Amino acid sequence: MADAAFKTRAHDALADANLKTAIDRTTGTAETKRAAAVDAFPEFQAARARAAAIKDHVIANLDHYLIAFEQNATAAGAQVHWARDAAEAAAIVSRICSDAGAKIVTRAKSMLGEEIGLPHALDDAGIERVETDLAEHIIQLAHERPSHIIWPAMHRTREDVAALFFKDHHPPPDADDAASMVASARRVLREKFLAADVGISGANFLVADTGATCTVTNEGNAELSTTPPRVHIVTAGIEKIVPSTDHAMALLRVLVRSATGGEVTQYTTFHCGPRRAGDADGPEEMHIVLVDNGRARMVGDEFRQMLRCIRCGACMNHCVVYRQIGGHAYGGTYPGPMGAVLTPVLDGLAQSRDLPHACTMNGRCEEVCPVRIPLKTLLKAWRLRTWDEGLVEKPVRYGLGLWGFAACRPRLYRMGTRMALPVLRLFGRGWIRKLPLAGGWTATRDLPAPAARSFMDQYERQQKEARK
Amino acid sequence: MSARDDILAAIRAGLTHGRDGALPRQTPAQIAAEAAALLADPDEIRPVPAGPDPVASFIAKCANPALGVTLDRVPGWAALPQAVMAYLASHDLAPRIAVSADARLDALAGAGLETHRDIAPLEPAAISVAQWGIAETGSVVIHSAPDQPILNAMLPRHWLVAVEEDRILPFLDDYAALAAPAPRNAVMITGSSGTTDIEGYFVRGAHGPGFVHVLLISR
Ligand code: SF4
Repeated sequence: MADAAFKTRAHDALADANLKTAIDRTTGTAETKRAAAVDAFPEFQAARARAAAIKDHVIANLDHYLIAFEQNATAAGAQVHWARDAAEAAAIVSRICSDAGAKIVTRAKSMLGEEIGLPHALDDAGIERVETDLAEHIIQLAHERPSHIIWPAMHRTREDVAALFFKDHHPPPDADDAASMVASARRVLREKFLAADVGISGANFLVADTGATCTVTNEGNAELSTTPPRVHIVTAGIEKIVPSTDHAMALLRVLVRSATGGEVTQYTTFHCGPRRAGDADGPEEMHIVLVDNGRARMVGDEFRQMLRCIRCGACMNHCVVYRQIGGHAYGGTYPGPMGAVLTPVLDGLAQSRDLPHACTMNGRCEEVCPVRIPLKTLLKAWRLRTWDEGLVEKPVRYGLGLWGFAACRPRLYRMGTRMALPVLRLFGRGWIRKLPLAGGWTATRDLPAPAARSFMDQYERQQKEARK
Repeated sequence: MSARDDILAAIRAGLTHGRDGALPRQTPAQIAAEAAALLADPDEIRPVPAGPDPVASFIAKCANPALGVTLDRVPGWAALPQAVMAYLASHDLAPRIAVSADARLDALAGAGLETHRDIAPLEPAAISVAQWGIAETGSVVIHSAPDQPILNAMLPRHWLVAVEEDRILPFLDDYAALAAPAPRNAVMITGSSGTTDIEGYFVRGAHGPGFVHVLLISR
């Protein structure tokens, strides 16, 4: 959970060169691939606008669509459950597993599952939990949490993964290159897929007019997790609704390009109820757990637009802060810009008040977001709330108060800057690497030395020149 | 109140007493009309076709090396056994293949091929018949059914899939239009299974097939 230790975590992350290498390798590739996919799709901007409009339409009619989805999913034979919060959702899943007498449960990666604490709940219930997504398998072996919503093991280098697999896989991988390790995971997990009693997946879309859930993967682990077991459980946030399969396709086009740079995922799978008469395979029971956990409240507050999020991860791949500190430093389930907006909703603002401040406001996240979420505006809204709720630390409050006092008095303000500039310039030319009283800031950053004269001074001088 | 009632009540409260004041709610007919309007002018939000007709586009898309797909044009169902034999031989595989109960695959047995319906956990090769192909993305779609085991598309190392040319749809939306009533499980498969989970490098054959071979059947 997010806590006041954000600064410590960020600091540790910045000092971790291995982490930086790992993040750079994946986010760099992701950024390049996304750019290529967007260039090859001139309709992208129009598709983005439409995607945002589809999500807004759904949220504006969320009650209507949830009821329609429930009706159609039930008619298809699925059992629909509702959960107010994380604990309730995890309890529902645990109960279904114990009713099914489950010993082995396979999980296909779902960030919502992480959000509701499913890994813990299953472990506590004494059920063998098998994470089947390769990255989730890696972090399960490392006893870690995901550090990215698309690449949960982004913080791990190939060398790290090799060390984990050589220790835990029997027989061990043939070699330590990526392909040998993927082959080894395939071998180890194949037996588990076929032995599982329950398969748990998330959903990228809940299709209201058919009652189907839709999941996208590249590895094929979702199909293997949801087909052989007797029971299939889907956990999904209530905002995942789309009116129809057609609307899902419109969103899919921008989701995949933004996430991995592909046109479509290798596997896009729609589940509509349990096994039908005569079906060659498929689960006998299908359960869908609809999870609120703060979302319904967002419908009515200033964070409503965040419900558009389709979890593509582009905002974090393009975030200068994320690329420096990685996902774990954020401390919540969701990292990066979208996490900085969502974590205060999920974990409370007091717990995560530093997150909305860990942003340079450069706006790259908004530029790439496929559903045009005004992330900067939403982060500013949290900053405002932090202030209103008295959660800002005293020195900052005092400093800003002083600044506010001076800013309202232009003469005083200008006098202050005029005095400060020559002093700051004493600490360096071009870049300032160390500054007394600001060691925390300069330890990992350089500050450009200010110009000899303030902007206002230069402006006035130019105006005078012009008048001559 | 049940969790369901609580959640729906909270949503309605947010929608009717939002910070923008009381908002009028739409009728179901208005909602449906708005939803339909969001799908208007589909050409504005989808890519231009890769070829002059759906079959040509589909073939062009399958040629994208990122997909990890090979494609063979087969002149009618009668020529299928020969095409399957040739594929297996080219990969040094024994002339054995797992088949679904689809009657169109019955002819494979006997034509020098040994077929079986029980798929093994580490099956080298299996063949399915796809319900649809989608030109926009080079995808094939399978629908769960008595003669369509989903696992046959997921377990083998080499997955062969036959699809008829006149089942190739131009766009994802064209498939979506056919999606109701929904099959229990519809899987849209685009290329071979893969992962980029280790340092972003693409590795083929993660959990599903490492090789996908499309047999495009002409009439
Ligand atoms: S906020 Fe936008 S860019 Fe970030 S994960 Fe969500 S949809 Fe993607």
